[in-house]
Amino acid sequence: MSENKQLPVIAADISEGDIIKAMKAIPGYIDITPGDFREIYHVAHTLAVQRMLDSVTASGLMTSPVLSIEQTTQLAEAARMLASNQITGAPVVDSEKKVVGVISEKNFLIEMGLGASPSFMQIATHCLHDKSCLVARLHGRTVRDIMTQPAITGDKQMTIGEISAIFTRQKINRIPIVDRDGTVVGIVTRTDLTHGFHIFSQGL
Amino acid sequence: MEFLQKLKGSSQSPPAVGPAEILWSWIGSFIGIGAVSFAHYKMFGHNDLMMLIGSFGASAVLIYGAIRSPLAQPRNLVGGHVLSAIVGVTAYQLLGQQPWIAASVAVSTAIALMHFSKTLHPPGGATALIAVIGSDEVHNLGYLYVIVPVALGAVIMLIIALIINNIPKNRRYPEFWL
Repeated sequence: MSENKQLPVIAADISEGDIIKAMKAIPGYIDITPGDFREIYHVAHTLAVQRMLDSVTASGLMTSPVLSIEQTTQLAEAARMLASNQITGAPVVDSEKKVVGVISEKNFLIEMGLGASPSFMQIATHCLHDKSCLVARLHGRTVRDIMTQPAITGDKQMTIGEISAIFTRQKINRIPIVDRDGTVVGIVTRTDLTHGFHIFSQGL
Repeated sequence: MEFLQKLKGSSQSPPAVGPAEILWSWIGSFIGIGAVSFAHYKMFGHNDLMMLIGSFGASAVLIYGAIRSPLAQPRNLVGGHVLSAIVGVTAYQLLGQQPWIAASVAVSTAIALMHFSKTLHPPGGATALIAVIGSDEVHNLGYLYVIVPVALGAVIMLIIALIINNIPKNRRYPEFWL
């Protein structure tokens, strides 16, 4: 997936023909030209969309409570926690519950020498040639050794637009949401973001 | 050439109104001007007072024919006429010796003041002008011109507009008061 592909964006445009039809539907003489109305509409529409974007924030998008993993946890135990919770990543916290990083499948795969996003067949091929299945490298090591750090975190007021910009720019898939003293209160993943955009588009 | 491009226009005329709108515009203006001119010819005919001035014909276009227009709202109708009348009488009394200066000052200052006070009402320009170029009867009224005919006539026409424009289901007036 290319992160910087350019999508042709179709502006929510109305034609003067649309405006004239609408003006005909309203009885009475409306003393504005369709062109002037269109100008007003464009500015007002931009403001309305921006207000909607600003109204969808991390506090509504995030999954909460969230499983967080202590940085001193053994990798095997961390993998078991992720697997049993059926998630692919989690915030990593220190002894005071402050976020210090993020751990995900990607960190494990890189550590196993498989690259950031191998296909299943690549992993299977590796395992067939190496009975330890490369997992040996993970033994005796802790989450702190392989996590992504420093953690990119957000606060509850962060808008859907800001979060998607961070995901794209930083090439990350999840962002822990922290309160004022840095304690994790939730997490926004790409799935949450997709869900948020779905709700948002229904409001348009 | 950007200037020539501007001269070509950038939009189009709004759509025509339907027959009901035309009929109600006719009824409103007939009764509105009828009421004011009845007072003028049948009630005030025996003394020096007058009720009917030309600018009321222009007001009728707006308050009976384009009732959604911001220019046609009560604030604009009454405020625009009264302010312009004050400006017109003042311009005549200070600059009447040079009518062309008095006329131009009256209209331009009336427009500026109406803009400033958010009471822009195009017939106000005529009200200011009439105070300068009107008959001796108008000139003799002095500042009474502001009250009768201008304010009184505008209020009578407003009352008719409030009644007639709210009779049809698809019409409503005003859009706002202040």
